[in-house]
Amino acid sequence: MSQNKSHSSTEYVKLTSSDGFEFYIERNAALISGTIKNMLSSPVHFRDITAVILEKVCQYLYYKSRYTASQTDIPAFPIEPNLALELLMVADFLDC
Amino acid sequence: MSSRRSQNSADLQFNDNWERLAQAIREIHKKNASILSFEELYRNAYNMVLHKNGDKLYNGVRGVITQHLEEVAQAQVVPAFPLSGASSSQTNPNGAGGANFLKVLKNVWEDHTTCMLMIRDILMYMDRVYAKTANVPLVYDLGLELFRDTIVRSQKHPIQNHLLDVLLQQIKLERENEIIDRSSVKASMDMLLELTDASTKDTVYATDFEGRFLETSSEYYRVEGQMLVGECDAPEYMKKVEKRLIEEEQRVRHYLSPSTEPKIRSIVEEELISKHLKTVIEMENSGLIPMLRNEKMDDLGRMYKLFGRVLKGHEEMKSAISVHIRELGKAINETVSSNISSESSGGSGDKQTGASVAIKWVQEVLDLKDKFDKVQNLALSNDKAFQTSFNEAFEHFINKNSKSPEFISLFIDDNLKKGLKGKTEEEVDSVLDKTITLFRFIGEKDVFERYYKQHLAKRLLLGRSVSDDAERGMIGKLKVECGYQFTTKLEGMFNDMRISADTMADFKDFLDKSVLEKPKMDLGVTVLTSTFWPMNLSASPRCNFPAEITKACETFQRFYLGRHSGRRLTWQSNMGTADIRGSFKSRKHDLNVSTYQMVILLMFNDLPEGESLSYEQIKGESDIPESDLKRNLQSLACARYKILVKEPKGKDINHGDVFYFNNEFTAPYQRIKIPTVASKVETEGERKETREKVEEARKHQTEAAIVRIMKDRKTMEHNNLIAEVTKQLQPRFVPIPALIKKRIEALIEREYLERAPDR
Repeated sequence: MSQNKSHSSTEYVKLTSSDGFEFYIERNAALISGTIKNMLSSPVHFRDITAVILEKVCQYLYYKSRYTASQTDIPAFPIEPNLALELLMVADFLDC
Repeated sequence: MSSRRSQNSADLQFNDNWERLAQAIREIHKKNASILSFEELYRNAYNMVLHKNGDKLYNGVRGVITQHLEEVAQAQVVPAFPLSGASSSQTNPNGAGGANFLKVLKNVWEDHTTCMLMIRDILMYMDRVYAKTANVPLVYDLGLELFRDTIVRSQKHPIQNHLLDVLLQQIKLERENEIIDRSSVKASMDMLLELTDASTKDTVYATDFEGRFLETSSEYYRVEGQMLVGECDAPEYMKKVEKRLIEEEQRVRHYLSPSTEPKIRSIVEEELISKHLKTVIEMENSGLIPMLRNEKMDDLGRMYKLFGRVLKGHEEMKSAISVHIRELGKAINETVSSNISSESSGGSGDKQTGASVAIKWVQEVLDLKDKFDKVQNLALSNDKAFQTSFNEAFEHFINKNSKSPEFISLFIDDNLKKGLKGKTEEEVDSVLDKTITLFRFIGEKDVFERYYKQHLAKRLLLGRSVSDDAERGMIGKLKVECGYQFTTKLEGMFNDMRISADTMADFKDFLDKSVLEKPKMDLGVTVLTSTFWPMNLSASPRCNFPAEITKACETFQRFYLGRHSGRRLTWQSNMGTADIRGSFKSRKHDLNVSTYQMVILLMFNDLPEGESLSYEQIKGESDIPESDLKRNLQSLACARYKILVKEPKGKDINHGDVFYFNNEFTAPYQRIKIPTVASKVETEGERKETREKVEEARKHQTEAAIVRIMKDRKTMEHNNLIAEVTKQLQPRFVPIPALIKKRIEALIEREYLERAPDR
């Protein structure tokens, strides 16, 4: 998941976690979150979101973009119980 | 997330966060947004809402924005007022100040919306979570409301008045053909359209601007309408109105709300069209009637289109045109009747004139019809309603002329009679097609039928008709108009002609084979079925034939009755023609004359040279009815070919006149046709007779209709019966109720009907 510089092409955007991990995800997936969408004008650096949670968020964004309006059966999205509460808060924050 | 914090520290936290946020919004207003971190601001707002400080945040934002807008109003908008602090009605004459004001306002508005978009992004979480639950407007809408209240409808500054005045003034300038900055006007309109009025939920555009706009427009066009009506002629007026309509439509499209379009349109229509309908139509030298007279199709078309926009427009046009048609028709009728009366007072001179008056009448009516068809076609886009009212007008004046059925029949007669007019068959056909349209207008179709039969009979018997095909074509056309019933008798006449031709061939064979003495001349007989033909059997004119002719007739009679027993033949001596040879001093001539003329001429055969016959002698010997005798003598002695010489000379035949055979007669041709009495307009007496016959026929038809209906219905109320009878007879003539009543009574008297016993 690591490309070296922040030259995010139009297809990919960089999300930085509070503990400094960088995640590159497809722009389309990132746009699912209203908050991220508004943030994209400048480098996206979350002060309150750890890499563990942000990774899960990225997985969810891909999951959502993959299965939205999909005709096939939608598999369950696995959430580890210990992450559940924090994830819930972040989801509210990110509007996704 | 950490657990609950104490109230105090939460407040501190809030104040700190809010201060940063407020500062950020101020930076945004200063267009310094790029220095801000979105993530931080969003997180701040998020935290505030999360800690139940949504309302404080919301109100705080409101305060910051309001304060900013007030500053803007004071610093930017007010200085841009077209005339500083002056009362709202005075504005810069050229509108430059106004345009500048609009530009400033446009900038302020654009800045505000851009800022609000950014603020909205930062406060997205507040919108999503707080605004929804607290049931307050989203922050962007809040921004619009604040803008409305602090700028557009500012309590402190007369911005609203200035804005509306400037807008209206700009529009007025544009109406007066000045170039204005449409884009800034449009920006203001868009702004007004985006703002909503709190109480009505309508746009500020609709509540504040539209009403005043319509009011001033109405006033403007009222003045303009009055001015233009005084200044312009009708075509010019309509061009201007058309231009105004297009302008207003474009104005709406360019910078007003589409919802205004129908309103402003109806105002222009009301002020410029409805109010001046009559004036424009009746304008002297340029109104509707002069347009029709000069066939100004473009102007008429424009009038049609414009007036069609308003309720009464076409109505007025229709009635004006209709009145005009009636007047023209009346004029045509009057020239004809004056021609006829002058002719009848001038004696029975040239008999052609009578027919030519009729033909002239029909031609004029046709020309008129052509003209209005053209108008209808080119200018009125074939509007059915106009067509109907035109037709009504034509019907009205055609039926005003009681002679119209006769005239139309004469016109057809004239066209079918002589191929020598240089018209091709197609031309004749098209003329007849048009004539049929006139026929449609005739109310008394039975009268027409009677005349048509008379004229057709003459054409057939005298061999004058141009061609069988043309005749049949005409009958076909009548059939299409009036149905089978109307033409059966006419077709019967054709049948008789055909059968007679066969009969004559057989008769020739019969004579060739027979041992009888052959007549000294050829005899051609046309046997007519009495019910089909318009001759009057009982009053069949008496006439003493010379011996040879009587004999020939008897031979035929024997031949014919031998073939068809039980029939009766009556000789119609007034309908025949004869070819005779006359020897004059210079040469011999073949004369084609009528039967009566032949009888008269044969009398002179036995007369020694230089002897004469008096009128009474001729009358006594021939027994020809007086009016026919006079007419035939007239054409022999007073017309172009003077076979006889009359004494004393003169145009009229009188008792005591004396006739000589004109031995000196010369003519350039071998074969001469003595003009028989040409078909012409009837004299008063004949007309009365025809009238009576028609009345008689109508009685029968009415009775037949009554009986037909009563057979079907058994019982019927009197009024319904009259209505039904009228309906049935309509295609032939319009019966007056009194006639129907009389017929019902007559039928009751003869016990065909009876009154229902229970009433």
